Amino acid sequence: MTHHEGALTGYRILDLTDSNGAYCARQLADLGAEVIKIEPPQGDPGRSIPPFLNDDPHLEKSLYFIYRNANKRGITLNLECEEGRDIFKKLIEKADVIVENFGSGYMDGLGLGYEVLEKINPNIILTGITEFGNDGPYKDYKGSNIVDFALSGVMITSGYPGKAPTLLPGTPAYDATSMIADVEILAALYTRPAIGKGQKIDISVHEAARTGLYPWSVPIYSHSLTPDGPLPGPETRLGDSIYPVYPVKDGYIRVIALTPRQWQALVKVLGSPDILMLPEWENFIYRIGNSQDLYAIMLEFTTQYTQVEIWEAGFREGVPIAPIYDIPTFINSPDAGARNFFVEVDHPIIGKGTYPGSPYNWTETPPHVKCGAPLLGQHNGEIYCNELGLSKDELIILRGAGVI
Amino acid sequence: MARTALEGILVLDLGTGVAVPDGIRLLAELGANVIKIESSQNLDFVRTIAAEKNSSAGFNETNRNKRSIGVDLTTEKGKELAEKLIKMADVFAENLRGGVAKNLGFDYESIRRIKPDIIYLSSQGFGGDGPHSDYPAYGPMLSSGSGMLSIWKHPDDPYPVGSNSPLPDHMASKQCAIAILAALDYKRRTGKGQFIDMAQTEVAAALIGESFLDYTINKRVPEPKGNRSSYAAPHGAYPCDGIDNWVAISVFNDEEWHNFVKAIGNPDWAGDLKFATLLGRLKNVEELDLHISEWTTPQDAWDIQELLQKAGVPAGVVQRAPDTMKDPQIKHDNALVEIEHPIVGKRLYPNVVIKMSETPAVPSTSAPLLGQHTDEICRKLLQMSDDEIKKLKEEGILESPDS
Repeated sequence: MTHHEGALTGYRILDLTDSNGAYCARQLADLGAEVIKIEPPQGDPGRSIPPFLNDDPHLEKSLYFIYRNANKRGITLNLECEEGRDIFKKLIEKADVIVENFGSGYMDGLGLGYEVLEKINPNIILTGITEFGNDGPYKDYKGSNIVDFALSGVMITSGYPGKAPTLLPGTPAYDATSMIADVEILAALYTRPAIGKGQKIDISVHEAARTGLYPWSVPIYSHSLTPDGPLPGPETRLGDSIYPVYPVKDGYIRVIALTPRQWQALVKVLGSPDILMLPEWENFIYRIGNSQDLYAIMLEFTTQYTQVEIWEAGFREGVPIAPIYDIPTFINSPDAGARNFFVEVDHPIIGKGTYPGSPYNWTETPPHVKCGAPLLGQHNGEIYCNELGLSKDELIILRGAGVI
Repeated sequence: MARTALEGILVLDLGTGVAVPDGIRLLAELGANVIKIESSQNLDFVRTIAAEKNSSAGFNETNRNKRSIGVDLTTEKGKELAEKLIKMADVFAENLRGGVAKNLGFDYESIRRIKPDIIYLSSQGFGGDGPHSDYPAYGPMLSSGSGMLSIWKHPDDPYPVGSNSPLPDHMASKQCAIAILAALDYKRRTGKGQFIDMAQTEVAAALIGESFLDYTINKRVPEPKGNRSSYAAPHGAYPCDGIDNWVAISVFNDEEWHNFVKAIGNPDWAGDLKFATLLGRLKNVEELDLHISEWTTPQDAWDIQELLQKAGVPAGVVQRAPDTMKDPQIKHDNALVEIEHPIVGKRLYPNVVIKMSETPAVPSTSAPLLGQHTDEICRKLLQMSDDEIKKLKEEGILESPDS
């Protein structure tokens, strides 16, 4: 077996998050950190998020859970009882980072606030992710995937004009927040030797999702304000009028023809048909205003090509075109293939599966997925017996008492 | 003042657009010394989408807390100056169109010869080593080319259109920052730099991993669900009073459903047994959504948010900029900040989001004018004389706002 050294090899992360924070530690795991996922004895609620293997709703078959918790080991622990907290404090001694998203004040209420934890391990970096912060008017508000995406300021621009703003697939507001949390955790690890201690990191989805997904909305509005001038027009959905979508032989493509040069290149790609050579089409605003007519005209020409043919022809002539790949086509695309983006991961129930890997290649410390997501409590023996020195009998007692 | 996390780290930003520049901005907020290398010959394209190169909102948002040196890298002398900076730098990051950095002589192999332990991050739309590595790529092309766009639609939309904002650019930029920070930590421990080649399509694909698993494991091409959820109902954006105003509402369990029904005044339809269980609500979701839209349509989105949240039901205004500016929690968190820019004056931006107890983030300062810090960097960092600087400006190799 090859030994994989990652950029973060040697660090240990305790991941207390549910599905809404799972991406945070997953990233650190791919970069080489050792992540231990700590779940309540009944399991992370994220285990019941679809899709499931063969549509069978089962704790060990959620593909959502399995993807976002791959590369982690897993133990069960009940933090709401004294014995559970004592075990947690032992785990902290050898940990570098804790990530939690229980909600404001929960850890403090358990007697596991930063002031307590840093006495046990001054190097600990405690990361608390909340929905709406630790104080303020929304402190007790509830978030969700669609609500947080709506509040982030980007949903209003998603989808067709006249129809409901459209949710981005996945869990965008949560994942954007997780990524910013990663940035802070890594900065805290980096600076730890220089300042001689760990620290506390606070991040709210409501604040971070905006920076994480689309921070331009307020600046664009603000830059458009002029003294005594009219208010800027409202942000809304523009559909495909700016970046038109056209059908091709095997699906759809998206075209970026903003400048006259790009438009001319597109016309050339399509064989310079007379109807597209009419001078009014050169005007971008005219094209936006008549996009449905243009779509009807385009059909005849774009459908002569496959996605890849027209994409590559566009590159040669100087108009940016992109294929709208569906899921299988991206998996089989030459780029993802050349970069070995998809990796094979083994899971005790699911078996071998092909997963998206990390979005980057590194020369010294390539990211690596070494194991599938943990079964509930899969590594209790490994961690509690081998590391903390508990006996098998003690484990049985703790399990019976609901501590693990 | 407390020490910052990245004190003493020099980062050279040869980025354009969002993916690299926005990631590097986070490093600047963490205390790194960031120099943006640019010139009129090689403008960050976001500077070109405004009336004037210093008045682009997108640029001024993305490049806060950086200094700018105006230097023409297509000239020998310009290159020499950049090389001097590279020798001092810890990080070099670029996302110029594929092949451009190499043509300039600033690819990883060239740069590591002058600075062997450099951390070099390159970000391309489709990655730096596949068959389409030289293809230009804007945000809307990356959601397209990754599979993400194919499921980003309502089931009855004829084809997906995504957003007019450049998603997932700002998520790619966070991945850039993550990669550079992890590489910096590795370098601190081992002395080794490295080359990191990011593909922005892969950033997008990694965000919808479960959809890929649904295909590779269940052999099913995932269907777009729009705003619907397969385990929550209601779950959507509902029309409100006014033009194009919406509120997002989600109900995941029976407790939230009871709270919801009570909050909206126990209407008769909600008592129908077919809505009593999650399964029933999912089965009759079309009808459910019609009832809820009927209730939301005459009301103010903010009022609904408050009413439902007070009842324990997740709800939120589908915000646009003026909503964000009046959002009481955003105000409470000082999540927006006014910054004075030399040309555009005082404007609002999202504030620094980093909240670290021991190494506070650097307060936001304005994005630089093109070449605003050319003189300062040449004098202090490159130890050039005023005469030399003047001469290079006359030759058009250096550039500053007054040259």
